Amino acid sequence: MKFLPLIWSNLVRNKLRTALTSAAIALAVALVCLLLTMPGGLDRILNEIASNNRLVVLNKAGLVYPLPYSYLQKVRAMDGVVAAASWTWFGGVFREEKGVEFPNFAVEPDPIGVVWEDWGIAPEQLEAFRRYRDAAIVGRGTLDKQGWKIGDRIALKGTVYPVDLEFQIVGEIPDAQAPHLWFQREYLDQALRAAGRGGLETLGTIWVRVDDPDEVAPLLARIDAAFRNSEAETASETEKSYFANFFGALEGFVTVILIVTGLVALCIVFIAANTASMAVRERMGEIAVLKALGFSRRLVFATLFAEATLLSTLGGMLGAFAALGITAFLRQGVAGWSPALGPLGSFVVTNTILVQGLFLAFFVGMLSGVVPSFGAARRPVAETLREVF
Amino acid sequence: MIEIRDVSRVYRRGADEVHALEGVSLSIGAGRFVALMGPSGSGKSTLLNLLAGLDRPSGGDVVVAGQRLNDLSEDELAGFRARHIGFVFQFFNLIPVLDAQRNVELPLLLTHLGRDERRARALTALRVVGLAERASHKPGELSGGEQQRVAIARAIVSDPEIIVADEPTGDLDAKNAVEILGLLRDLAREFGKTVVMVTHDPRGEAFVDEIHHLDKGVLRDSVPGGARP
Repeated sequence: MKFLPLIWSNLVRNKLRTALTSAAIALAVALVCLLLTMPGGLDRILNEIASNNRLVVLNKAGLVYPLPYSYLQKVRAMDGVVAAASWTWFGGVFREEKGVEFPNFAVEPDPIGVVWEDWGIAPEQLEAFRRYRDAAIVGRGTLDKQGWKIGDRIALKGTVYPVDLEFQIVGEIPDAQAPHLWFQREYLDQALRAAGRGGLETLGTIWVRVDDPDEVAPLLARIDAAFRNSEAETASETEKSYFANFFGALEGFVTVILIVTGLVALCIVFIAANTASMAVRERMGEIAVLKALGFSRRLVFATLFAEATLLSTLGGMLGAFAALGITAFLRQGVAGWSPALGPLGSFVVTNTILVQGLFLAFFVGMLSGVVPSFGAARRPVAETLREVF
Repeated sequence: MIEIRDVSRVYRRGADEVHALEGVSLSIGAGRFVALMGPSGSGKSTLLNLLAGLDRPSGGDVVVAGQRLNDLSEDELAGFRARHIGFVFQFFNLIPVLDAQRNVELPLLLTHLGRDERRARALTALRVVGLAERASHKPGELSGGEQQRVAIARAIVSDPEIIVADEPTGDLDAKNAVEILGLLRDLAREFGKTVVMVTHDPRGEAFVDEIHHLDKGVLRDSVPGGARP
């Protein structure tokens, strides 16, 4: 501790360089901490939005391939199914120049209140949705984003189907992030027939509500078995695993980002090492004087090494706590400003991540300090004095 | 106090050997103020480095304060310097980010003294050189003469037997040079320190007890200085 004033004085002698180096380390550590929140954050999002009691049935060939509409009735008839509804992608655009801004699906109005009971759509709004052929239920996220409200009339231009549809908004999905727009399947069917395009014979996905958790696995197997060797085989899974697959692709992306972040951290090591080398090189004379006064090689190494480690650790603390502050801020504040940013609140810098960030900074400091400190400590004092003075 | 016996120092510079010192023998008693003089490249700084434990001889013996320095490791030499030697350099070599008192305190960081005791001793050393009131000033805020006084305070703060000074007046004006020479003389006379000074400054001859002239790595002669008892 008695050497701390000496170490600190040397650390702050070139304030700009110290500030820039610690800022670079802080930025890298903050970045690493924020990226480390991603796996946990995605898990939390998954737990919030997805259920294990809701199943999704897709065309085995892929999400873009439709299933025959007759499958819906067959699935509804299976044991263990409480309710089932289909989604058919309409791909309607509100403003042509912006393209599809929110997912919009044709659905059956009767079962949705049961299949998505946990979404909390008001019963009177579900009733209005059933009653009016042109009714639409819209997620709160899209209502806010578009500035719509219940009672408004809107028109969507079809991109998948060659019809334009006009809707009256009769209800909302209360979740602040929900982007969906649902309308009656029959409305689309009739519009297509009126346009001479025949009826709507296919669907995109079937959503199935199951109450008994023990029924989930057998039902998944039964559904896929029922349509095996048919014109469109199915691939069924729980809603949670469906979204997990979505995030699975993201995890690969996260891995790439983590690798890049690791390389960034390595670059920071070199930057910090360069700073430490410069600091040592420009103080070679002073270091020689300290050695002349009796500072041993070990002590010279220790003070220089401590200086580099302290600089990095302080930068790392700044970065780790900045990351903590950012995620806390997002959790408490941003969700209220823009629903689209709400999921960011799921990314949390935990104590473990905080400690990992601090250790990263500590090791960056140690790695960056060890070579220049060792070199300065080993250099013969008489030779240095002769060269420098 | 200091015994130099048939000492040589050879440096390798690429394929060449440079004989900085050859067969130098010298004895310096305790409490003496001694000047090593000679032209550039004569080997006087090399000799100073050897007797201060900053370097090891290629041949011969260096015995200082009863300790044969040839056999000591780097860390043992560092310990020896901390206990027995105080240094004064031509360019003062104070740490610019520390104030005068903290600069003087530096050698005491190697002792077991507590913080308050270190601070008190540093202030006492500054008082000895007449700079107690400048204790909180950083080197950049002090004149050259004042900086050299701080360097002398740093050299004496741990109460070493020997002070080595390498061109202590080389970067000072005439008035300050005389004051510093007087101060070094007082350290020898009043505090019993053995002071060995390398200098080109002819004014130094009047202050020292003895002068050793070196040339081309060889001790040419030793003559009494002008100091009066």
